[in-house]
Amino acid sequence: MQKISMIINGRAASGHVDSRTLLVQFIRDHEHLTGTHVGCDTSQCGACVVHVEGKAVKSCTLLVLSCEGANVTTIEGLANGEQLHPMQAAFREHHGLQCGYCTPGMIMAAVDIVNRKGHHLDEATIRHELEGNICRCTGYHNIVKAVAAGAEAMQHDHAAESAHAHAAE
Amino acid sequence: MKVMKFGIGQPMRRVEDLRFITGKGQYTDDIQPKRATFAYVLRSPHAHARFKISDTAAARAAPGVLLVLTASDLAHLGTIPCNGVPDDVDMVLPDYPVLARDIVRHVGDAVALVVAETLAEAREAAELLEVTYSSLPAASGITAAMAVGAPQVWPDVPGNVGYDTSMGDAVKTEAAFAKAAKVVSIDVVNNRVVANYMETRAAIGEYDAKRDVFTLTTGSQGVHGIRKTVAQTILKIDTLKLHVKTPDVGGGFGTKGFVYREYPLVLEAAKRIGRPVKWVADRSEHFVSDAQGRDNITTAHMALDARGRFLAMKVDILGGVGAYLSAFAPYVPWLGMSMATGCYDIGSFFGRTRIVYSHTVPVDAYRGAGRPEAAYVLERLVDACAREMKMPPEKIRALNFVTPKQMPYETLTNRTYDVGDFAGALKAALAKADYAGFSKRAKLASKAGKLRGIGIASYIECTAWGDGEEGSVELRPDGTFLMRVGTQSNGQGHETAYAQVVAHYLDVPLERIALIQGDSVQVPTGNGTGGSRSIPVGAAMLTRASVILVKQLKDLASDILETAVTDLEIEDGAIRVAGTDRQVTYGQIAASPKASKAKLKATAEFVPPEATYPNGTHICEVEIDPQTGETSVVGYHLVDDFGMTLNPLLLAGQVHGGIGQGIGQALMENTVFDGEGQLISASLMDYALPRADHLPSYDFETRNVPSTTNPMGLKGAGEAGSIGSSPAVMNAVIDALYRGYGITTLDMPATPHKIFEAIRDAGGYR
Ligand code: FES
Ligand code: FES
Repeated sequence: MQKISMIINGRAASGHVDSRTLLVQFIRDHEHLTGTHVGCDTSQCGACVVHVEGKAVKSCTLLVLSCEGANVTTIEGLANGEQLHPMQAAFREHHGLQCGYCTPGMIMAAVDIVNRKGHHLDEATIRHELEGNICRCTGYHNIVKAVAAGAEAMQHDHAAESAHAHAAE
Repeated sequence: MKVMKFGIGQPMRRVEDLRFITGKGQYTDDIQPKRATFAYVLRSPHAHARFKISDTAAARAAPGVLLVLTASDLAHLGTIPCNGVPDDVDMVLPDYPVLARDIVRHVGDAVALVVAETLAEAREAAELLEVTYSSLPAASGITAAMAVGAPQVWPDVPGNVGYDTSMGDAVKTEAAFAKAAKVVSIDVVNNRVVANYMETRAAIGEYDAKRDVFTLTTGSQGVHGIRKTVAQTILKIDTLKLHVKTPDVGGGFGTKGFVYREYPLVLEAAKRIGRPVKWVADRSEHFVSDAQGRDNITTAHMALDARGRFLAMKVDILGGVGAYLSAFAPYVPWLGMSMATGCYDIGSFFGRTRIVYSHTVPVDAYRGAGRPEAAYVLERLVDACAREMKMPPEKIRALNFVTPKQMPYETLTNRTYDVGDFAGALKAALAKADYAGFSKRAKLASKAGKLRGIGIASYIECTAWGDGEEGSVELRPDGTFLMRVGTQSNGQGHETAYAQVVAHYLDVPLERIALIQGDSVQVPTGNGTGGSRSIPVGAAMLTRASVILVKQLKDLASDILETAVTDLEIEDGAIRVAGTDRQVTYGQIAASPKASKAKLKATAEFVPPEATYPNGTHICEVEIDPQTGETSVVGYHLVDDFGMTLNPLLLAGQVHGGIGQGIGQALMENTVFDGEGQLISASLMDYALPRADHLPSYDFETRNVPSTTNPMGLKGAGEAGSIGSSPAVMNAVIDALYRGYGITTLDMPATPHKIFEAIRDAGGYR
């Protein structure tokens, strides 16, 4: 057993783990944050996507010991209190989910796509960028719409946030 | 009745989404009971072998191990029953034991259960079990199992044919074929697929020794059916001694509806060790522990007159069922045969269906269950007829459709279509797809070195037949409402759709109407989700219950407000005296001394008198790169008749998802066993699931003709997308290949490799 500590959703998390423990196991079993899902055993599905240092990763592919001191965000940490993240809101608005199992990974991946590719995403880009995430329920049509709308909304959200910050000065 | 703002027909956003998008959904594996132990199922690496477990002592003594179970420990348990034998069929039902006894019959057949403090310990201990297999020759798949001298799966099923049954009029059909101007024949394979819901199956068994009550928590398609089978048939206990709970479910598609071995296993283990026992399938395990879908080989013939009218049709279906009979396995191909004539008015029909055992993973209902297979055969056959008759595919369809004037229409397979306008849907779909402009697009594509094809599939299917639902709506003390329904959402959004029905009558926001499902104690009866039944049956039942509750609440309000019932109206979460501001809120009614439990709750039942028959036309346009064999779906248009739309957003979602699965089956998904019965495609690396990049956007529209057998006019919509899609895609692929290379046949999945080979066999790329 080895000691591990990191920040998850802004809170310190630490524990003693077997060296084989995966990040997703630590998040789910140790931290009881069960919004991050496991959908496969070959790192194909993306149900487990979280952000480590602000970048999307498949948490089933990382040994938790490699995340010592890291800053991790899971789906539970995306909303601002009661205020949904624009990408979360867009998934609901556009019916981008059915069973919800792929959804946390989809949303975390989508936020990362926006971070990398900007706020104006065309359909081909979204479809291509979602290659690491599988959904078996929706046929992707509404996920693609949700990601496009969420990306736009994130821009306005930023605008709103900086306007807010400005006003507070 | 005026239109309520949250009610029927509105594109309400889902109430369940808030928990799913914030990570608060609760699936079976998210539940961690105190003192939980973990189970691992040891599975056969052989497709067919005699086996002996000579030593369990080492495993039992391994660190953390609490229990090892093999077949010899389970002699007191019943076997897994098959409840899906078609009415007129006589057949042997081979034993499907909870753990294999002496012989394993497919790769992944369960031979032992190990329970330990951790999953890693259980898995490591399983490796210490001394199992000796002496392998036997295996029949891998339908064709191998039908061969002369094939290894037999069951001693009392010679030739591996489980049943051989027929439908229709053989004599009349042969006579029609004899005088036909043209006979068109096709052979098609409906490839075996794997459900691959993103949440793999999981189960938690608990046993309360004081009350002698078991609890099973599992992501199912309905708790009551599982309770009955596991309690009565397998554990042999009173039904009420088993409590079955289903939390959020990460997709089911038919496949999560059956009783699987792990359910009695975790319960038996929990009783023996006195602690909760949890089992979760990993993805590779899903491929061998869950029933698979489709797997038909069919020959079909159409007799036509010189004008292209269908005189008679014959089908001969071989339905693979795998090694054991899963719950509805024998019923599925038979159901397909019963829909064989589809939208067409055909002079006579004869169908034969045989189910075939082989040393492969069991096969059972998967989204559509028999109807996709039927539509696939028929629509491929109709396109072949069009080619041979040199008729446009839309014309031969329109010429042969059952017309609205012929409704109600008795099919030659003993069904009654009540309503439907097949030609209307086809016409609308052709317009949406700009069918007329296709040749221009094809020319442009060919200038770019691509082959374009367009494919039509006009389908009809049957939904929501058989069992009914009894449920209730009640007003709670805090003024909110509670529905109890025995169906089970697997992601379809019943919490929202059902609440819309109640909201329609009681005019309250959806957030004030809760649904209890997935609990065999809190909901007394139910028949689960399957056969696209939840909305047509559940919503019809809730309509009845809501109407009754409205009457009861108005009676109470009339007492409280001392006004005649006829002067009362429902408005904004309250009952008021029409035209005044005198009102009583639901909360006040619930708190009134005049209210009693009985008056605040309404129970109703709806039993469908007949199936409903959704139908429509899918049109798919593809572009193939003849140099690589790669297909892209460049257009997808469809017009469906679902009778009535409860929530257009959710309806479209169901249709999209079904199409995604149908395109997946047509272009990429395949379950491959090698000659020895080894499953080659047993992970998401080897089994290709469609990703966002493989699928198009869908252009979907309804053209509803209300069902006459459903009080709300509803027809089921959960499976239709998967039924129309695979034939539309394959007709488009073959159309492209026919235009370019004269190719007239190709089996699913139309992978680049297969298309490349077909082009090569037709003389090669030019
Ligand atoms: S669990 Fe499937 S990619 Fe991580
Ligand atoms: S919503 Fe079910 S897997 Fe995506």
